[in-house]
Amino acid sequence: MITAEQKPIDEIREMIGPFKRILVLGCASCVAECAAGGEKETAMLGSALRMAAKMEKKEVVIEEKTLDRQCVNEFIVLLDDTIDQYDAVLSLGCGAGVQAVADMFPETPVIPALNTEFLGETKAQGLWMENCLGCGDCMLYYFGGVCPLARCSKQLFNGPCGGSVDGRCEINPEMDCAWQLIIDRLSRFNALDRLEDIYPPKDWSRKQGSGPRKIVREDQQR
Amino acid sequence: MYREQQITLGLFYCQNVPESREENRQALEEEFGKSLRLFPIPCSGRLEPVHLLKALERFADAAFIITCPVGACRYFEGNHRAKKRVERTRKILSDIGMEPERVGIAIGSKEAPKTLAQQAREIFREISLLGPSPVFGQE
Amino acid sequence: MSHLKQILEKGEFAVTAECGPPKGADSEIVLRKGDLLRDKVDAVNVTDNQTAIVRMSSLAACTLLRGAGLDPVLQMVVRDRNRIALQSDILGASALGIGNLLCLSGDHQSFGNQPQTVGVFDLDSIQLLQTVKAMRDEGTILGGDRLSARPDLFIGAAANPFADPLEFRVTRLAKKIRAGADFIQTQCIYNLDRFKTWISTAVDRGLPEKVYILGGVTPLKSPGMARYMKNRVSGMDIPDEIVKRMEGVPKEKQREEGIRICVETILRLKEMPGVSGVHIMAIEWEEAVGEIVERAGLLPRPGF
Ligand code: SF4
Ligand code: SF4
Repeated sequence: MITAEQKPIDEIREMIGPFKRILVLGCASCVAECAAGGEKETAMLGSALRMAAKMEKKEVVIEEKTLDRQCVNEFIVLLDDTIDQYDAVLSLGCGAGVQAVADMFPETPVIPALNTEFLGETKAQGLWMENCLGCGDCMLYYFGGVCPLARCSKQLFNGPCGGSVDGRCEINPEMDCAWQLIIDRLSRFNALDRLEDIYPPKDWSRKQGSGPRKIVREDQQR
Repeated sequence: MYREQQITLGLFYCQNVPESREENRQALEEEFGKSLRLFPIPCSGRLEPVHLLKALERFADAAFIITCPVGACRYFEGNHRAKKRVERTRKILSDIGMEPERVGIAIGSKEAPKTLAQQAREIFREISLLGPSPVFGQE
Repeated sequence: MSHLKQILEKGEFAVTAECGPPKGADSEIVLRKGDLLRDKVDAVNVTDNQTAIVRMSSLAACTLLRGAGLDPVLQMVVRDRNRIALQSDILGASALGIGNLLCLSGDHQSFGNQPQTVGVFDLDSIQLLQTVKAMRDEGTILGGDRLSARPDLFIGAAANPFADPLEFRVTRLAKKIRAGADFIQTQCIYNLDRFKTWISTAVDRGLPEKVYILGGVTPLKSPGMARYMKNRVSGMDIPDEIVKRMEGVPKEKQREEGIRICVETILRLKEMPGVSGVHIMAIEWEEAVGEIVERAGLLPRPGF
């Protein structure tokens, strides 16, 4: 899932300052799971912004809507009929959602209400952890299912570094050392010998080789 | 009548709170009239910041939650959660320049349990100094 | 080109020291530190923006030392440069007459004075070792392109016998040797027992036949420094006795006690099979190196 957190309200209020009719637009997918931009959070933000405007005696219309997915055109088109009523959209989608909405409605300013953070998992209630960088060439097999790019602070392919102590990372003792996890897991599967080989330098062209990436699947196209 | 009645309180309460049955609720609403709107919830853990915010936005000068006593929650840690949600709501209020004290929590005590009516009166006393909410404008 | 290499190949117990470049453009500081270390040690490591604090580049400081007749060890971290810059600097270092290169990951950027930067980590230290070795031995860079002339470098790596997981530490040492390390400089040794366990496992695996291992030492200045390193520096193992020894002497004797501990450690290391030398990291205390080397009976150093 893609994780995000809400921006400070002050920053949001500054960005929406010039607008009079604002659609606060949530997304019921990833950002709902991480309690940043789902229906509930959208209602909260809308309510808070309306109260703030009233206290300042500003005449603004702030309305809310939440799409099932803000990054998929099929859902964004549902705004077609109403978008003209607004002079700006305040999006609680991830960075992809914000841009998808902006692409669909080139005349309408779309303002991000969230800071998009990382690809991660919901570890516990209220705890999300980064575990994938979307490198385009997954190496999890070699590393026993623990990603050294996303979870080792120094992105070591041949770790651990000299700071790994008691399974904790030297950068932040509250974090697990990814390499301790890799070693633990591989030894559980009797596959520690995999680490005798020197893992070669990463082919980063799969991530950023020729600019922004795209996936084309003809079988999925019309 | 009560001086406190000049302000409106949105009061959410856990149904575990003593003397919070339907007839108690009706009696209280009669007594306080428009100043008190009561919202029973099965567990205070179900309370969301958005409930408190909506109450403040629509009608209330203050919005509070009364939980069952610590350790007495049927759903384990509902009251503990409610406390964190209230904290979160208070943060949002201060971010938009409203007094955070307009939301609050009353946690029941096992040793000295209080009825819904007693709690409501205490909360009114607590918020009486706040005055009407800036959201509805000063008349 | 490398004097250090000649010393080690002759079977002499080698002595290296560390020199931190200044936080400024003053070449005199580098040269002054060089003067303190001249004839006291065989080679001088120059740190590469250590603890992620901006300092004069290691390459520049090494060049200054080389010009002053010392044998510098260029420390190179993978934190700040991608593989293009790393390989380019390796060629440049060799062209400037630098004979030794130590490949490191580097301290994380969050510790330093530029916490808002991005850490590069395109290669890791083991991949860097492999890259330097291929440049030197095959004359090729990553991707296979041929060099017009090969760099001539004695290649080093770091090892920390005190980090976890213990069982994997020697495996990782073996990996570094396979990747191309000719010599190893270890993390500061205070816990000699644990170091002994590590080195004897390495000896059992025949590793010191393939690599020269230099034990790292750092003279303590004060009990405060000992406690700080013990508690705050990850992967640093300082036994309580050492802290107590530092605490047990009056303030004006503390530096002397630190030097004494350091000399004792070196004397023990000299006797240990598998240890080929010592690397003295006197942090901002280069003045102490001469005395330590002398009291450890390691003077005079064999000349160039
Ligand atoms: S190896 Fe690449 S794709 Fe796989 S988890 Fe790590 S970053 Fe993601
Ligand atoms: S301690 Fe572990 S996770 Fe942290 S940088 Fe070192 S190897 Fe990576």
